[in-house]
Amino acid sequence: MNALLKLSRRIDALTERVGQAALWLVLVVVLISAANAMMRYTINYSSNAFLEIQWYLFGMIFLSCGGYTFMRNEHVRIDLISGRLSKRGQTWIDIFGILFFLMPMAIAIMVLSWPVFIHAIESSEMSNSAGGLIVWPARLMIPAGFLLLIVQAISELIKRVGFLRGLCPDPTEKLNALSDEEELALAIKAQKGEAQ
Amino acid sequence: MSEFLIANMAPIIFASMIIFLLVGFPVAFALAANGVVFGLLGIELGLLGPQLFQALPDRIFGVMANETLLAVPFFTFMGLILERSGMAEDLLDTIGQLFGPIRGGLAYAVIFVGALLAATTGVVAASVISMGLISLPIMLHYGYDKRLAAGVIAASGTLAQIIPPSLVLIVMADQLGKSVGDMYAGAFIPGMVLTSLYVGYVILVSIFKPKWVPALPLEARSLRGAALALRVLTTLVPPLTLIFLVLGTIFLGIATPTEGGAMGATGALIMALVRRRMSLSLLKQAMEKTAKLTTFVLFILIGARVFSLTFYGVDGHLWVEHLLTTLPGGQIGFLIVVNLLVFVLAFFLDYFELAFIIVPLLGPVAEKMGIDLIWFGVLLGVNMQTSFLHPPFGFALFFLRSVAPASVKSSDIYWGAIPFVCVQVIMVALIIIFPQMVTVGLDKPSTVDVNSIQIELPETNYDEPAEEPGSPPEPVSNGNRG
Repeated sequence: MNALLKLSRRIDALTERVGQAALWLVLVVVLISAANAMMRYTINYSSNAFLEIQWYLFGMIFLSCGGYTFMRNEHVRIDLISGRLSKRGQTWIDIFGILFFLMPMAIAIMVLSWPVFIHAIESSEMSNSAGGLIVWPARLMIPAGFLLLIVQAISELIKRVGFLRGLCPDPTEKLNALSDEEELALAIKAQKGEAQ
Repeated sequence: MSEFLIANMAPIIFASMIIFLLVGFPVAFALAANGVVFGLLGIELGLLGPQLFQALPDRIFGVMANETLLAVPFFTFMGLILERSGMAEDLLDTIGQLFGPIRGGLAYAVIFVGALLAATTGVVAASVISMGLISLPIMLHYGYDKRLAAGVIAASGTLAQIIPPSLVLIVMADQLGKSVGDMYAGAFIPGMVLTSLYVGYVILVSIFKPKWVPALPLEARSLRGAALALRVLTTLVPPLTLIFLVLGTIFLGIATPTEGGAMGATGALIMALVRRRMSLSLLKQAMEKTAKLTTFVLFILIGARVFSLTFYGVDGHLWVEHLLTTLPGGQIGFLIVVNLLVFVLAFFLDYFELAFIIVPLLGPVAEKMGIDLIWFGVLLGVNMQTSFLHPPFGFALFFLRSVAPASVKSSDIYWGAIPFVCVQVIMVALIIIFPQMVTVGLDKPSTVDVNSIQIELPETNYDEPAEEPGSPPEPVSNGNRG
């Protein structure tokens, strides 16, 4: 079990790194899109490569952050029922969900999308629009993103089993220390304090 | 047993979807799992072809290549940067001083600022929290009724859901296969009308319960005369600039909604830099929240696509269509049932789930009944906006609770929200009675669209076979526009 917990920590570190890197794509894609709109309007220049890179990056953001968001426990849940259960009960739900909900669908998507990527490489598939980009990087993102999600799910599974056996702290606890809203409230209060 | 299964596959899948969701595991994965499990069962029973899941990679690819939804991270990022840039605080302070000395003035200021913020950021949490922290204490200090103060703040915060550029409208347009620009144009007047209804309610209160909304003494103003006028003008510059950057460029046809979002986000960044409110940690925080929100939204959509692959495969959409078209009362019967359904579901589901699961099922039926889809989308948008105000689960109430002083009880917030929920219901009825509110804004842009679509159609031919109607491949048409 200890070896598994160690593995889980490794996975978490990897996911953290991927997530932290992918964050910057948000800024990049915002700037590209704004520049694109501005250039088209001012100097009447536009290219399909410019437009396509935007959704490549968009896909990269959400596919590479799938595992990261799962680690942060921020995929939306309906906690109408589970919210009334004990911490252990919720942990059991997660274990069940990872094994029977997440894993089958993530593995199915990863396995099915791999040949599509291979085909795109072998046929050097290009986007259909003039001046568009080569397609395989976008095709690769799907199996890669779901692989990251699967790997993170393994780590979450280990942590939850560890929690049930009393070997590690509740994996969801420390993340909920301060919600986004509480953080915003603190920031506004601080600003008000400055102003007075 | 298997005969029963085959005959009732669609209702069984639908019912089990609800159970899967209620288990409490993330919605995105539960939805997708539901699709996979019943897909396998359907193949086993011979209902579905064995090649069913081959379409999965293409479906996800379609989600990625969806230029419309790219607007989601843009507007989210813009809102997150703005919430720290001090714009809301300045507006509330200044407009509050301007209106304060009238009876009900602070409430009007909250509504006015709520609408202005809605037209820039579109983030409910940010509006409610700023107003809850800045306006609520002042309102309570000068003797406003707690319930009214709480209600008006929560309700004005939810205006962000319906006044363009809201995320709800983007997602709605995407799911109904309409352009976001049209959806914005259609929602514009209803948004204004709804704002006026809030104002109307406060006017009624100030007539019949003047003690609930006292006028502030003139001494409460720290600025007056020309200084106040100047201050009002300068505080209005940033939001109006942003409104122009975003909505102006979209309505004038200079930018697509996606680009409008990017320009707004860039504008917000510049504004935060100018005001010296920008720091690396703030930037990272905003990027992280944007990435996480985009991820969970898009994963719900992926889940919904996997679910619909199976559900449509067993003709579930025909089952839903049959259920809804056989309702008594034709169009009106359909609209009443659908609105009640959404109203009730909104207690449990948030709007992303509603938009991705329910709306694609309702849209085609509405279209067959001859209902304008933009109008339908705006109608559902107002209805879903109400879900933010439902006691006790409404998010707006929850956000307000988190910042309201202890003297305001949770029950005060709930009771305060109820009149505004009623206003919302009236608004839904008004949109049904006067559909012109939505359609008036549409006449001009739609003719332009028809022309441009005809020219560009041959080139927009991706080799994606099984695209759903929700996501027309757009990039090429934009490139040609300049």
